[in-house]
Amino acid sequence: MVQNKDLRLKIVELAVKSKEGHIPSSFSIVDIIDFLYGNVMRIHKQNPDNPDRDYFILSKGHGALALYVVLNKFGFLDDKDLNSYGSAHSILGGHPDRVSTPFIEASTGSLGHGLPFAVGIALGCQVQKLKNRVFVLLGDGECHEGSVWESANIATNQKLSNLVAIVDWNESANQLMPIDDLIGKWKAFGWSVTLVDGHAPEELRQAFAQEVLLNKKGPYVVIARNTKGKGVSFLEGHGIWHHKIPNREEVLRIQSELL
Amino acid sequence: MNSLRPQFAETLTKLGHKDPTIFVVVGDISHGLLSDFRSKFPDRYRNIGICEQAMLGVAAGLNVTGFNPVVHTITPFLIERAFEQIKLDFGYQELNCNLVSVGSSFDYSKLGCSHHSYIDSALIASIEGSKVFLPGSKEELDVLFKENYNLPGIKYFRLTENSHSAPGLTLGMGTGQNAVLRRGSSLTIVALGPSLTTALDVSDRLLELGVSAEVLYVNTFKPFDFSSVRDSVAETRRLVTLSEISPIGGLRDLCFQAISGEFQFEAIDFSVGNFVRGYGDYNDLLTVANIAPAQVYEKILRTFSLS
Repeated sequence: MVQNKDLRLKIVELAVKSKEGHIPSSFSIVDIIDFLYGNVMRIHKQNPDNPDRDYFILSKGHGALALYVVLNKFGFLDDKDLNSYGSAHSILGGHPDRVSTPFIEASTGSLGHGLPFAVGIALGCQVQKLKNRVFVLLGDGECHEGSVWESANIATNQKLSNLVAIVDWNESANQLMPIDDLIGKWKAFGWSVTLVDGHAPEELRQAFAQEVLLNKKGPYVVIARNTKGKGVSFLEGHGIWHHKIPNREEVLRIQSELL
Repeated sequence: MNSLRPQFAETLTKLGHKDPTIFVVVGDISHGLLSDFRSKFPDRYRNIGICEQAMLGVAAGLNVTGFNPVVHTITPFLIERAFEQIKLDFGYQELNCNLVSVGSSFDYSKLGCSHHSYIDSALIASIEGSKVFLPGSKEELDVLFKENYNLPGIKYFRLTENSHSAPGLTLGMGTGQNAVLRRGSSLTIVALGPSLTTALDVSDRLLELGVSAEVLYVNTFKPFDFSSVRDSVAETRRLVTLSEISPIGGLRDLCFQAISGEFQFEAIDFSVGNFVRGYGDYNDLLTVANIAPAQVYEKILRTFSLS
């Protein structure tokens, strides 16, 4: 059963209005981001810069719309800013920007930047004995980047138990690199690994349970079996919809599947 | 001729006592020299191995948590390999760092072009909010580092292994000021960092012919002191730019910007436009690059018809 239909409809509305957006990528991760903000992370709506907050870094920045609609849902981002997405003077564009948007932790877009950055934040918190946790979401295609594995290695060696990575394993990588043993790779780099269905709240609840996060000794990765375009039959899978904007008739079909 | 690295270690350790935010990240280099810092401040020192891209990203994350990162490795690996990390993680994100490279241009003279870097200064200068320093003596490094390490933005310090021959002449220089080290009326030689050695040698030779060269010394590449160049060349109307870096976005470009059509002048540029394919010592490679003192002297005489 498809969760977060309202968020998916809003993603489509914003993409259509601005003629910019990676809809299937956003559908692939919106359930996890919603779950993290709603159930896992320490967040402070009134003061997003609160030093006690947990950090969320969207390393696969092209899924930005999923992050924006969740931030709106949880009261960080007002409707006016959300609806200005992609326009000339908006704070929100096709990739997140920490400079324009105070409650966004990282400016991403070029793949392979988010995990090293997250490792640095986690290391800085660890050295200062701060309790913050760092969540970073990567794509499986992004795991082609060498900087991902450079920083995966550092995270293990620095014993960063305050770091949680989530890999959106929607098989984008599989189109090019079909031998793709992500679980084996992360284990080989010394991370503890859990495989979940990233669209199933009960599985996410187990993977991100407080006792799981508290008891880990080093970095932890949740590999999420996700479906690109999840929730709308003709958007699911790979191909032309990666960065395509639906026309009026296609929007009606999307709405009819999600309403 | 010697390295600025020991001074870097000394300056850093002194600052480390006063400033608990300094966090040193090295790419498996200078362990011995930095052992004092490491033993005094083990929490704020990490050798994270040979992984320049991640090293820069990690440093940016450290800055988010309140640390002031000092990132250190060999010039081409720090600046050229990890350039996008510097541009995006620090420049675009408006975060702060100190980049300290070692082995400017071709100091690793026997190791081949993999260890050379000629375009690093221009690359970093191209990023909004950056500062670029090429100190030519240990005293200059100490001053420039202390004055700038705690300012916002990207601060790049390029440590030469071949400090220039006249440290006494450059004492007291501060950030962003060029210094007239010799007065002259026939031409202006603008020298960058370690190239001061060649500039002084050439001006000695010219003086034997009765040609007086003004020697203007630069160690702050960005922000550049334009007015000193304009004022000097306005008098001499001949400009010689002398550096070990690329002509693309290099010292000549800055000096031309300084003058920008205000008056006519003649100019010669000595810089490093091609791979310096050779081995031997630093002076051997100056010759390979056509920027050794005798070559500079001859070309100045020929071009300006001074002999």
